[in-house]
Amino acid sequence: MIERYAGVAPKGDLQLLGLLSRHFRGRSFLHVNSTRAGGGVAEILARMVPIMRDLGLKVRWEVIEGDVRFFEITKRIHNAIQGSPQELTPEMWAYHLEVNRRNAQKIDLEADFVFIHDPQPVPLGKFRKGGRWVWRCHVDASAPQEAVCEGLRPYFGLYDAAVFSVPKFARAMGVPEYIVLPSIDPLSEKNRQLSPQELQQVAQRFQIPQDRPVILQVSRFDRFKDPLGVIEAYRMVKKYNDCVLVLAGSPATDDPEGEAVLREVEEHAGQDEDIKILLLPPFSDLEINALQRLATVVLQKSLKEGFGLTVAEAMWKGKPVIGGAVGGIPHQIVHGVNGFLVHTVEGAAFRIRQFLNDPQMLQQMGQRAREHVRANFLITRQVRDYLCLCLALENEGKTIIEIL
Amino acid sequence: MAEKGLRKKEPDKSFEFRQCVKLMRAVPLKARDLGQLREHIARVSENSIYHHMYEYFLKGHRLEYTNDFAQWAGENLEARALAESLSSIDPYAVGSVQELRAQLLRAIDYYREHFPDPGQVPPGEEFHFNETVTVVFPVGLKARNLAEFLIALRHVDAGAIYYHFYEARRRLKERTDDFSQWVKDVLGKEALAQAIRSIDPFMHTIEGIREHVLELVDAELRKEMEVLPP
Repeated sequence: MIERYAGVAPKGDLQLLGLLSRHFRGRSFLHVNSTRAGGGVAEILARMVPIMRDLGLKVRWEVIEGDVRFFEITKRIHNAIQGSPQELTPEMWAYHLEVNRRNAQKIDLEADFVFIHDPQPVPLGKFRKGGRWVWRCHVDASAPQEAVCEGLRPYFGLYDAAVFSVPKFARAMGVPEYIVLPSIDPLSEKNRQLSPQELQQVAQRFQIPQDRPVILQVSRFDRFKDPLGVIEAYRMVKKYNDCVLVLAGSPATDDPEGEAVLREVEEHAGQDEDIKILLLPPFSDLEINALQRLATVVLQKSLKEGFGLTVAEAMWKGKPVIGGAVGGIPHQIVHGVNGFLVHTVEGAAFRIRQFLNDPQMLQQMGQRAREHVRANFLITRQVRDYLCLCLALENEGKTIIEIL
Repeated sequence: MAEKGLRKKEPDKSFEFRQCVKLMRAVPLKARDLGQLREHIARVSENSIYHHMYEYFLKGHRLEYTNDFAQWAGENLEARALAESLSSIDPYAVGSVQELRAQLLRAIDYYREHFPDPGQVPPGEEFHFNETVTVVFPVGLKARNLAEFLIALRHVDAGAIYYHFYEARRRLKERTDDFSQWVKDVLGKEALAQAIRSIDPFMHTIEGIREHVLELVDAELRKEMEVLPP
């Protein structure tokens, strides 16, 4: 399996993975999260665990079980970490711990390196046995509710380290905190190379013209993704350049405002036949892949964002992205080098026009975008970082570690 | 007759390419204005200063400024004059990280004395201090002569060039690079070593360094191959 990444991922990363797998041969790794399918964490584990096993490492992936009450509580904890005010009573915290106690009796927690993902299973730290324990927080913790931090604080000290997705999500937790940026899998359905026939089929199905520039934003219909702003920017561009706008996404099922936003977008688009609003069912990976490849310019004009990996996905397809300067987007777009960061509708429109009028710049930035993702945002780099973290935990206090 | 097994083994003089990767570690310090930036620069670990000043070159693209502090001062704090002075501090021309820290503080102090306070950045745009753990490993390539070196240099990842050209300056007593050391000590080519040494790390990206060294080595090889008429 790992050989499939040769010629795709950087040579050095693959070489280091080989050396690290030799170093950790015979050692055991355990990942614990709260769901086997659905959501970003399960998605990344489903792709990362087989790679680690293919490297010859002993890796298990366990999922904790809980009832509706437990997951209602953890949803509140999750939202509070993301900054939304939530009521969390002492009884709720006690139940959170109790469900984890029951899981600890069922799951074999014995391993040399244990990764506990997100807040749902964080109390498992109380039942740790041997090995080194890491809490991996995938949630945007840049502005959490203070009360949720207080509730989680007793667990932080039980871990040897914590891992966050970007520096601004890190908290003063009293344990070493590492940063591991998220990644995309270049071989997955969403990112693999597509044949001309596959592209053609998607273009025909969604009536995407191929004789005019296509501006694309892939995102759920959510105000934070600023779909109305994207339509405004398109209209400003349309006065000068003939083009088509594609807004592709699924309705936000967990957001009561989702339907209303979609209606607003449809109303705002009016009778313009060159605005295509595509409602895609979940898991439309092949379709999203094709749309990103068919696009001329990709937008991610978010007003608020977690990491925004759709940016890296589009960049991997050689498309320069015009993105809002929020969340993890500035970690992916290097302004003026492989895309543009914008703060306003006018800024977005101006950058689209620049791209449409300068095909050479479009191509150059697109190439740089792909290279940037290759060097920094592929799954092989993420596996590498996890194993380097294990190495750092073994060599506590060292800032330079040599592998021979 | 000397027995085969007793023959003294020649030391390996080939150039072994190595590479480094960085694992980022958060330091629990962030600045939202110039006063806080100064306060934290004054007390943060040397490893953190090293990361924000030297490892900036690992990013591999030429931006308006030359280190993380200058980038933040220019882009987020919008203190352009300060960004310019911080950006002109060449970390490779400074003797130690402590001296570098002193230079950064002097630049900030000068700005605070002569310019109006730029105020605070909006929430979410704070400067976050980080440091790194460096993992060094062999890339599995050895060059026994200059021709092999040329081929390998074309092939290696940017992280290998960074390790041998930039990171070497922290490692080697002479504060120079691994390439010129090998060319001088093993191949005995002082002029080529001097030419490689004179490439200014501050003024180039990693790919720029690769190109320059390739040009120099290529020219040297051509010169060696030329047969002059008797």
